[in-house]
Amino acid sequence: MDKALLAFLIIPLFAAVLIPFAARYRPRMADILANVTLLAGLANLAWLALSPSMIASEFANLPGDGLSLLLVGAIYLVGLCVTFFSAWFLDENLPNRPAYYSLLLVSVAAMTGVVTSTDFFTLYVFVEVLAVTSFALITTDESFAGVEGALKYFFLTFPASALIIVGLAILMLTLGSLSYENLRIFMSSDIPAGPVTFGAALIMLGFIIKSGVVPFHAWTPDAYQGAYAPVSAHLAGIVTKISGVYALIKMATLLRFFDGRAQALSEMLMFLGLLSIAVGAIAALRQKDFKRMLAFSSISQVGYIVLAAGLGTPLALIGAVFHLFNHATFKTVLFLNSASVERSAGTTDMDKLGGLEHSMPWTSWTSVVALLSTAGVPPLSGFWSKLLIILALWESGLRTYAVLALLFSIVTLAYFMVMQRKVFFGKKTAAAESSPEVSAPLLAPAIVMCGLIVALGLLFPYFYTYLKVVAERIII
Amino acid sequence: MNDPRLVLFALTALFSIWAVMARSLLTSAIMLALVSVTVSLIFFDYGAPWAGVFELSVCAGLITVLFIGAVSLIRSEEEKHPESRARFYALPLAAAIFAIAGWFYLPPFFAEMAGWARPGTGGGTIGLALWDMRRQDLLGQVLMLAAGVFVIKSVFPRRTEK
Repeated sequence: MDKALLAFLIIPLFAAVLIPFAARYRPRMADILANVTLLAGLANLAWLALSPSMIASEFANLPGDGLSLLLVGAIYLVGLCVTFFSAWFLDENLPNRPAYYSLLLVSVAAMTGVVTSTDFFTLYVFVEVLAVTSFALITTDESFAGVEGALKYFFLTFPASALIIVGLAILMLTLGSLSYENLRIFMSSDIPAGPVTFGAALIMLGFIIKSGVVPFHAWTPDAYQGAYAPVSAHLAGIVTKISGVYALIKMATLLRFFDGRAQALSEMLMFLGLLSIAVGAIAALRQKDFKRMLAFSSISQVGYIVLAAGLGTPLALIGAVFHLFNHATFKTVLFLNSASVERSAGTTDMDKLGGLEHSMPWTSWTSVVALLSTAGVPPLSGFWSKLLIILALWESGLRTYAVLALLFSIVTLAYFMVMQRKVFFGKKTAAAESSPEVSAPLLAPAIVMCGLIVALGLLFPYFYTYLKVVAERIII
Repeated sequence: MNDPRLVLFALTALFSIWAVMARSLLTSAIMLALVSVTVSLIFFDYGAPWAGVFELSVCAGLITVLFIGAVSLIRSEEEKHPESRARFYALPLAAAIFAIAGWFYLPPFFAEMAGWARPGTGGGTIGLALWDMRRQDLLGQVLMLAAGVFVIKSVFPRRTEK
């Protein structure tokens, strides 16, 4: 485990245990403790990555492979937005409020464990913790949809865990170790390809299911729609990316050392990535519910990351990592905004909404920034990550994939424009008449994230230097 | 594969299916404990006594006590809402198909896998394994315990309020 980042795992765990005691007589202490823990962690991470000496050395002194630091940053950022939003969104008298914050912090600690682990078995242990906390967080909303989503999540992701553990057993049997460093060495050596490819295929299948990639996406729309909106933001923004997509990227980088002997596996991953992009985008076009549309959009965007991971070239991996980070920012904004709309208008049915732009201008315009970034419109951050992925496909001679990825980016813009017109622009509906803008604390996370989306887009050359260091360390 | 080991594997499968199929939660909890007992015997048989001791004491002992305690608390509620069993009838069928397929394909599969086997980097004392080699996994286990406690705290207050 990356020791420099160990504190980012232990401190949220400690705070999670402390919360039920501290909030026993003062429920608000749960909000304060959770937010202060994550804010302090984020400040420390910012110092680690952006101190003057670090920038002067062009990120040469980054701890570990640099990827862990970046992803821990994304985890803390989304976690902070979700806890801050929840503090004003959740019912004051919710009986399990302290447990809700404890679960969120354990989830943050588990995700930190996933991205700082140096061994596939350790990663598996933390992914399982994440599955348990996610299941409980989805059921926080006791509606029928929430329970249905949680059950679907359970029935699809726990068999996925069985596939992963069988795959790990086969890798352990044939390679004698599960540490990334040893796997890298063994895969570069002249080992028999059959059993290793089989084990890797089972592990990848498990993580594909956990990522909600098509055709294993059935649980994602129900889970995201059924859960409380901040929980949806947490799940869609970061949890599924860390519990599934991160491991796929990790496995794809290891397979690069296999010297083309697992080519079929990489090609399958790319195909599923493209299928996910297409099915997610087309399904999103047909949705009538705001949150459900965002869920399908999330499936589509995960497809871009999986496609790039399957390609596995340095440029593609830079694009995959950057798109993963970007997805955390823009999807969090959109899900939190859907929560604001639900709070204000009382519904997320897009046929009943319309004209909210006049009464909810901040929510409307932060949505515009996030949707443009998702669709890959310059100069926002999403443009750069999609450009890198498409360029990597083009450079590798996969021009059909590149053109289709570009084409579905336009479809992304189309379904978001339809959403924006139905929800925020156009004529005011009855529901919109009595829908005031939500309070400043509920807007703050979306505004901060939008600032980050713009800043990452405009300062991309600096961020590219960081990503290049990461790619060099994980591949070369 | 020799016969006693085969019996242990067959009993593990039988108790597992029984645990899922049982009408009573109490029976399920007892069957789950029996699964842990047979699994710990398998661990002993394979020369992993520490894993066997942990499986026997924690899974068969402690967790069973917790399950039975919880079941006795909710039993009266459960009996008021009998569940539909129809969908569970598919499970023994699926298990039978898997067992027949496994009977034919798994022994040659494992025989072939054994040919590829490479010795693991293990050895040493239990302390060395827990505190040095697998320290991160222990941290993961602590997180799992914390998650379990918070899941219970998150679910049960709502039930009692209603």
